[in-house]
Amino acid sequence: MSGSQGETVFAVEAVRFAYAGQPLCLDGVSFDVRRGERLALVGANGSGKSTLLHLLNGLFFPGEGRIAYLGSPLTEAVLDAAPFGPRFRQEVGFLFQNSDAQLFCPTVEDELAFGPLQMGWTQAEVFRRIEDTLALLEISRLRGRFPAGLSAGEKKRVALASLLVLAPSVLLLDEPTAGLDPRSQSLLLEILEALHTRGLTLVTATHDLTLLPHLADRVLVLSEEHRLVADGEPEPVLADTEMLLAVNLIHAHSHRHGRLVHTHPHQHVVAHEHVHGHHHEHEDQAEPKK
Amino acid sequence: MATLPEWLRPGARPVSLLPQRATAHRLLRRTLGAMGRSISLLVREPDGPGVGALRTADPRAKLLAAVGLIVATTFLRGLLPLAACLALALALSAAAKVPGRRLLPVMIAVPLASTALLLPATLNIVSGGPPLLVLWRSAGGAFGPWRLPEVVAVTADGLLVAGRMVLRTTACAALALLLAATTRPQRLLGGLRSLGVPQAFVMVLAMAERYLAVLLRSAQELHLARLARSVAPIGVRREEAWAAAGVGAVFRRTRSLADAVTLAMVSRGFTGEVRLLRPARWRRTDWLLVAAAAAVAAGLLILDRRLA
Repeated sequence: MSGSQGETVFAVEAVRFAYAGQPLCLDGVSFDVRRGERLALVGANGSGKSTLLHLLNGLFFPGEGRIAYLGSPLTEAVLDAAPFGPRFRQEVGFLFQNSDAQLFCPTVEDELAFGPLQMGWTQAEVFRRIEDTLALLEISRLRGRFPAGLSAGEKKRVALASLLVLAPSVLLLDEPTAGLDPRSQSLLLEILEALHTRGLTLVTATHDLTLLPHLADRVLVLSEEHRLVADGEPEPVLADTEMLLAVNLIHAHSHRHGRLVHTHPHQHVVAHEHVHGHHHEHEDQAEPKK
Repeated sequence: MATLPEWLRPGARPVSLLPQRATAHRLLRRTLGAMGRSISLLVREPDGPGVGALRTADPRAKLLAAVGLIVATTFLRGLLPLAACLALALALSAAAKVPGRRLLPVMIAVPLASTALLLPATLNIVSGGPPLLVLWRSAGGAFGPWRLPEVVAVTADGLLVAGRMVLRTTACAALALLLAATTRPQRLLGGLRSLGVPQAFVMVLAMAERYLAVLLRSAQELHLARLARSVAPIGVRREEAWAAAGVGAVFRRTRSLADAVTLAMVSRGFTGEVRLLRPARWRRTDWLLVAAAAAVAAGLLILDRRLA
């Protein structure tokens, strides 16, 4: 992996961005991403997480503010120029939320070959990388398959393989587990964990708080006003109920015990396990509820 | 806790349904289903491993041969040379082991569709000539500025024109299918590119080949979602209105998918030129294939002139 542990990979400074004719979807966002970090961008739907990933991948450019990759500003002109542009595309992989958009080649093999061929690698090297990557993700049997015919989990693994084949040092992941069944989700999380332990920098956009313990050592929270409202380790961020309620990441949950109806903040920290941060007693149930 | 409206509470009386016509209009569903099957046949990978000269030939050689034969076919006028061309295409398809499930739908749909389109050409009011079969007689007269014919009949000239066109379209379709069924789409598109077809055109074809099925699935899902909320068949007019709205919705999805695909390609280093994993290599046998196709095309044209 290129670069030294702890160096600043991305520097985002006071970024404001709006799609043409649309209201602002990022408002004065600033943060750094350091080498080897596992960073999660969390926020409600429409808070600007995906847009921020697109900006980090140099697919969109901020209206105001600045984004730098390893000290070089990410601008259209810089990305169009060699050697920076191809090197950036090789080092920074982007896993799109919609796998159908990411898998545009006629076979899985062609899909994996697309990036390396764009980099101008030799045919022998491309074949070697394809073999190794297919084996790593246990998808060798899919090599000749038409991507549109794969299951959601298989598509996601092929999409990830199409990035890993380039040996990136940074992965930007947009809702990586969305739409996956539990087994595919768990397999993907294991792969990401293994990649992280090998030094990859992971930046994941999600609104699923259950993923944070698996995906992040640091969490950035975007508000529905598209501003960065928290930046810290998962535990204190998840403990800030008031902030999470304000940014619509947890909701006020109401339920009934006998004749008593009451409301409290509600979040799913682990899938299917509810944490109700309160104790109460009422007339037709002697045992306290937790 | 949210309070449910009265009509959503258990035991609420259902609203009585408006009387609906019992006739089921399944046109849209059938059309979408048929389109899905046709597209899956079109975009399916060539079957079987790379065996036989036609499957292993350079895609550029196959493109040149197929285009040459198709162009020659469009110049043929005699029924015999046209039938010979069709027979050649079918024989080559059999030799290349093109499966019947892929060949048959095209060989049935193309003649049927072209016959339906060409039926008016068989009549004396379009093609002229002596009548073979009288379909309708009238006292003549005029309809506004137009003079009505006294007889409407199928003519020998009309049948010849229609037969020629049906054979021509079927032969061309068989040749095109032979090319598509023996060449992987990516190689075919690579061949087009190396023959000088502009990159933008090839990219549009590549994306259409890849995403036609995805977009059709999207249209089918929209239709199924509506069916799931339908209690009885709706009239043809409402079905048409819904179909028009559906086309708009699919168009919006197409645009957003196209944007996403472009970004995904740029993200992996795309700069405007698609590179192939296995670039085509021109061999001596590829020259032979092109020469053989040129000889067959010339032979058919000469035969056609002699018989004319």
